[in-house]
Amino acid sequence: MTERELQIIGRDFPRKDAVARVTGKERYTVDISLPRMLHGRILSSPYAHANILSIDTSMAEAMGVTVITFADVPQKRYNERIITIPPVLHKDHTVLADKVRRMGEAIAAVAAETEELAERAVRAIKVEYEVLPALVDAQEAMKPDAPAIYDTVMFGETEIAIKNNIACTRDIDEGDYETALAQADVTVEGSFKLEKIYHAQMETKSCVCRPEPDGGLTVWPTTQSIHNVRILLGEIFDIPLSKVNVHRVPIGGTFGSSIQMNAPIPICAALALKSGRPVKLTLTREEDAHDHTRYGGTIDIKLAAKSDGTLLGADMKVVADIGVHNIQAYSFLGVSIGWLVSLYKIPNIRYRGTAVYTNKALSCAMQGFGNPQVTFAAESLMDELADKLNIDPIDLRMKNYIGLGDTFWGQGPQVKSVVLSDGVPELMRKGAELIGWSKRITTEARRLTKSNSDRVRRGIGVGRGFHTSSAGAPQPGDVIDFSGAMVKLNIDGSVDVITALMDHGGGTLEALAKIVGEELGVPFDLVNMAPAETCSTVYDCVTHATRGVYAGGGAAYKAAHSLRKEIIETAAKFLNVYPDALDLKLDDEKGQGVVYCRSIPEKQMTLKEIATRCWSESWKTIAAVESYRPTNCPPAYVTVFVEVEVDTWTGVVTTKNVAMGSDCGTVMNPAMAIGQLEGGLSKGAGYALFETNGWDAEGQLLSRGSWMDMKVAGIGEMPSNDGLHMHFADSYEPTGPFGAKGIGEAAMNPVAAAYANAITNAIGIRFYELPITPERILKALEKGGERS
Amino acid sequence: MTVPAFNYLKPDSLAEALDMLATEPGAYPIAGGTNLMVDVRAGKLSPETMIDVGDLDELRGIVVKDSQMTIGGAVTIAELLRHEIIRQRVPVLFAAGKTFANTLIRNRATVGGNLVNAAPCSDTAPALLVLDAEVSLSSSSGTRWIPLTEFLVGAFQTQRRADELLMEVRFPIPPASSRGGFEKMGLRKISCMAKVDVAVMADFDERGACKDARIALGAVAPIPLRAEKAEASLVGTAFIARAPEKPVRCGEQVQDKTIEEAARLAGEAASPRSGSEYKRQVVYGLTRRILTAMATGIRDGEAS
Ligand SMILES: Cc1cc2nc3c(=O)[nH]c(=O)nc-3n(C[C@H](O)[C@H](O)[C@H](O)COP(=O)(O)OP(=O)(O)OC[C@H]3O[C@@H](n4cnc5c(N)ncnc54)[C@H](O)[C@@H]3O)c2cc1C
Repeated sequence: MTERELQIIGRDFPRKDAVARVTGKERYTVDISLPRMLHGRILSSPYAHANILSIDTSMAEAMGVTVITFADVPQKRYNERIITIPPVLHKDHTVLADKVRRMGEAIAAVAAETEELAERAVRAIKVEYEVLPALVDAQEAMKPDAPAIYDTVMFGETEIAIKNNIACTRDIDEGDYETALAQADVTVEGSFKLEKIYHAQMETKSCVCRPEPDGGLTVWPTTQSIHNVRILLGEIFDIPLSKVNVHRVPIGGTFGSSIQMNAPIPICAALALKSGRPVKLTLTREEDAHDHTRYGGTIDIKLAAKSDGTLLGADMKVVADIGVHNIQAYSFLGVSIGWLVSLYKIPNIRYRGTAVYTNKALSCAMQGFGNPQVTFAAESLMDELADKLNIDPIDLRMKNYIGLGDTFWGQGPQVKSVVLSDGVPELMRKGAELIGWSKRITTEARRLTKSNSDRVRRGIGVGRGFHTSSAGAPQPGDVIDFSGAMVKLNIDGSVDVITALMDHGGGTLEALAKIVGEELGVPFDLVNMAPAETCSTVYDCVTHATRGVYAGGGAAYKAAHSLRKEIIETAAKFLNVYPDALDLKLDDEKGQGVVYCRSIPEKQMTLKEIATRCWSESWKTIAAVESYRPTNCPPAYVTVFVEVEVDTWTGVVTTKNVAMGSDCGTVMNPAMAIGQLEGGLSKGAGYALFETNGWDAEGQLLSRGSWMDMKVAGIGEMPSNDGLHMHFADSYEPTGPFGAKGIGEAAMNPVAAAYANAITNAIGIRFYELPITPERILKALEKGGERS
Repeated sequence: MTVPAFNYLKPDSLAEALDMLATEPGAYPIAGGTNLMVDVRAGKLSPETMIDVGDLDELRGIVVKDSQMTIGGAVTIAELLRHEIIRQRVPVLFAAGKTFANTLIRNRATVGGNLVNAAPCSDTAPALLVLDAEVSLSSSSGTRWIPLTEFLVGAFQTQRRADELLMEVRFPIPPASSRGGFEKMGLRKISCMAKVDVAVMADFDERGACKDARIALGAVAPIPLRAEKAEASLVGTAFIARAPEKPVRCGEQVQDKTIEEAARLAGEAASPRSGSEYKRQVVYGLTRRILTAMATGIRDGEAS
C-alpha cells in the first residue's frame, strides 16, 4: 500500500461496545441463559498424578442428573490447539481424563437443573484413586526412573512413545558457533529461571452448548477462535461441520488463555449431547487457575562478541516446563530461539530445546509466547556485555539490532521475512530523552561512588523488544495463519463487516471498522461489526501473535478494497463514465461516501444512491468476501525505559518513571494503543516483580487459585500519570492495512528486562530469576554487603 | 469449588442475635464476610448457620467520651478512615486502615471481624495493641471487658466463646504530646496481606524527651509481639527533638543513633519467632522509617 491522507484512522472514537461494557449490559458467555438449560459442574481430581481405579456414579445419578465419565465420551485423542498442521500435530488430550495428570483434572461431569444440585451430585461421585508420585520439576521429570505421565501420544496419525517425559525436542544450528566462539573477544552468559504464572484474565472459561434436533450443536464459548472450536468439536464428536455452529461471544480478556479450545467446551458439548438439553458450564476462578499458565522453565544463553560489541554467536538451551499437555511445545521451542535471533543479528547459533511434561497446569501461549522470557534473558545479557565492554547500553543495542532491510525470523525458522518498517532509532532516541538517559550513572560508576550507601537508590534501565505481527510467511509452513472477511453495502450507504475475528478487549474490531470505513469512505458510525458465527463467516485462524489488526485487518482491507472496486464499477455504469475516471471519498458534509468523477464534478453519486438503485432495479447486493494470507510478519517494536527506586531497608521497588515507545506502524486507535502499552507495562511489572505460581511436592497449586496469592500487579503498582510517557514512532508498514502493524504482545515483551536492568543499575546486583521480590533483593544486598 | 448451602439468619436486635448464638450450636456470626466467605469457599469451614450481625446498631458506632474512644465491632475499615478524630488524633490506627486491603474490602471488612479472625497478619491488631485497647464480649448471660493482649491467644485463636459477640473496642485517645506511626510491608502496594507490620506510639514531655514508647510487630509471630527492648531504649531519649530543620528528602538519611539502635532491637525481637532473617531486616527498616518520620514530621515518600 502507498500512504494516503486518512479521514477516519488515527482518530479517537468512543468504542462501539463501550456503553454496554461499562453499564454491565454486555452479554458474556456466563450471561447467556437458554430455555430448559441445565447447569454443568466438573469433578476435579484432588491429586496431581493418579490412576483411576473405579468411578461410582450411582449416587449422583439417583439425584436425577446427567453424569459423564471417560466411558461416555469419544476417546479420540486431540490437540486443543489446531494451529499446527495435522501431520505434525501432537495429540494427548481427551474430553475427560482416563488418568489423572494434574491437580484438578476433569474426571467426570454432571449436568443438573440447578448449579447447586450439580455441585451436590458431583460430590456424590465416588472415585478410587491409586496415587502416583507427582512430578513438579522438569529436571526431575526427565530422570530415567521418573514415573511416566504419558506412555504414548499421537503424532499426526501415528502413536509414538514418550520417553523420560520429554514431549519433544528441537535443535537448530546456523553458521558455525564453535568458530564464532573461538574468534570472540568476550563472552557473557546467564542461566535464567522463569515462573509458570497464571494468565489472570478477568473472565473465567465458560461455555453454553445446545444440542439441535438434527444431531448438531450450537455453541457459545469463551474462545479466541470460533472456527477452530467448530472444527475440533466436529472432529471429536463426529458431526459434519455444517451442523456445528459456534457463535462469537464478547470475551473478558484472555492474554492467550483461550487460544486453544478450552477444556470445558467439549465437556459441555458431551453433557448437552447426553442430556439432550442445553448446558452451561463455567469454571470457578479456582478451577481456572488450575487449568493454564505461561510457559516456565530455564533459559541458558551464552553470547559471544567482538571487543567493539559486534555479536558473533549465541549458544542457547531451553528446558520448557509444559505442564500436563503438549499444546504447541514444538513451536514454542522454535520461537524461543526465533525471539533471540530476531532481536539481534547473531550469525552463528547453537540451539538445544527440550519440552518436558510435568503434573502441573498446561502451559500455553500467554502474551508473547515465550518472548518476554527470552527478552528478559537477552536484554539482561546485553546490559552485562555493555558493562563489560564499557559501551553505552543503547549504543550496543543500536549496533546489533535487526532493523530495516534485515531478514527476520520472528516465529521460527520457517517464518522468515524482510523488515520494511523500522521505528527503533526514533523509539530509542525519544525514550532516552524522556527518561533522562544522559544523566544516568553507569552501573560501574555507581559501584565506585558513595551514592551506593544511600538507603533509597534510583536506577534506570532499558529493554527493547518486538513481537511479530502475525505468523505470516512467503511460503506455507507448520503453522496455519490466514484470515477472512466479508463486507456488504446496505441500501442506505452503511456497511456490515462480517468476520470471525475475535477482539480480546483491545479494540481489534474497532480498528477493522476504521479500516473498512477508510477504504469505502463510510463514516465510522455507519460501519457495523456484525455478530459472527461459524456458519456465516469465512475462516479466520485465531486472534494471537499480535495479528488482529495486521492480518485480520488485512483481510478486512482486502474485502473492502474489492467492494470499493465494485462500487466504482457499478457507479461507472450509472454515471456513464469509465471506472478509471472515478474516485471515492468520505464527504463530511453529506456524512456519506461519494463516488465522483475527478474532471466532471457533476458526475457523482453517494453510496446510498448507488446501493438504492441496485436494489430498486432488482439488480444486486454489492458485497465482497476475501481470504487473506499475510506473506510477512513485520516486527512491532517496543522500547521501554524504566526508572525505579529500590529501598534497601525493605527491598521494595517503586516505579518512578516509564518512557515506553511503540512502533506499531500507523496508529489506528490512539487512546486504545496507549491502553495497550499501559496494560503491557502493568503485566510486565507483575512478571518482573511480584507474580509467583508454585506447586508443592504433591503437585498442589500453592495459591489454590486465590487472587491474594497470585500477586498480579494492580493499579497501585503503576507510576503516577506524571511518570508515564507513552509515545509512538512515525512509521508506516507497507504490507499492513493503511500502514498498520500490531502492538499487543510487543507491549509486554521487554518490560521485565527493563525492570531487571533498572534494578541492577540501582544496586549493582543482577538477577537471573523472576520475580525480583523484596526478599530476593534484601538477600542479594546482604550477600553483597551493600545494604546501608 | 462453589459454596455449599447454609442457613442465613438476620436478627433485628442484639438480644435476638445473642439468643440465636446461644441456641444455634455451631452458628457463626458474619459481618463483612471477607474472611468467613473466603474460608467457606476454600472448604476450610462449612458452618450450617450464619448470623448476620453487620447491621446491629449496638455494633455500629464510633463514640468519643472523656478522652476515650469506643468503636463498635461492626464498624468497617472504611468508616474508621472517614472519622475525623481518628484521622487527626489516632494516626497509628488511621495509617493501619489506609494500608488495609483495597477499597472494596475496606467497605465490607469490620474491626470486630478482623480481631475475632485473629490472623497473625491482622493490620488492626498491632495498631490497637500500642493504643492499649480493650475489647468487650457479650452473650445472653452478660458482658465482659478484657485487654486485647489477653483476647488474642494465638494464630486464629481468641478468648471469645462461641456464644459471644465482640461488641466494642475501646482505648484512651492519645494525648496531643504523643506521636505514632504504622508501616506495612506486603509484596504489593495494594491488596496484600502484611509480611510485616510495625506500629509505634510514643509520648513526650515538654522538652521532647520520650516518656513512654510502645512498639508492636505484626505478622512475625502467631500474635503481634511487643518489642520491649526497643521500647525501653527510646524512653528517656529526646530522639524527636534532634530532628533536622530542613525536611529530609527521600534517599537521604537521618543519622540518629537512638533510632538506629531501637530499630535494631525491634528487628532482633522479630527474628526468633518468625525464624526469618528477611523479616528481621524488614522490621528494622520499617521501625527506622516510622521513628524517623516521627522525628521529622515527614512521612516516607512525601518529601520526595
Ligand atoms: C482481598 C482481601 C484482602 C484483605 N486484606 C486484608 C488486610 O490488608 N489486612 C487485614 O488485616 N485483613 C485483610 N483481609 C482479611 C479480612 O478482610 C479482615 O480480617 C476483615 O477485617 C474481617 O472482617 P469481616 O467483617 O469481613 O469478618 P467476617 O468474615 O464476617 O468474620 C470473620 C470472623 O469473625 C467472626 N465475627 C465477625 N464479626 C464478629 C463479631 N462482631 N463478634 C464475634 N465474631 C465475629 C466471624 O464469625 C468469623 O469467624 C483481607 C481479605 C480479603 C478477602
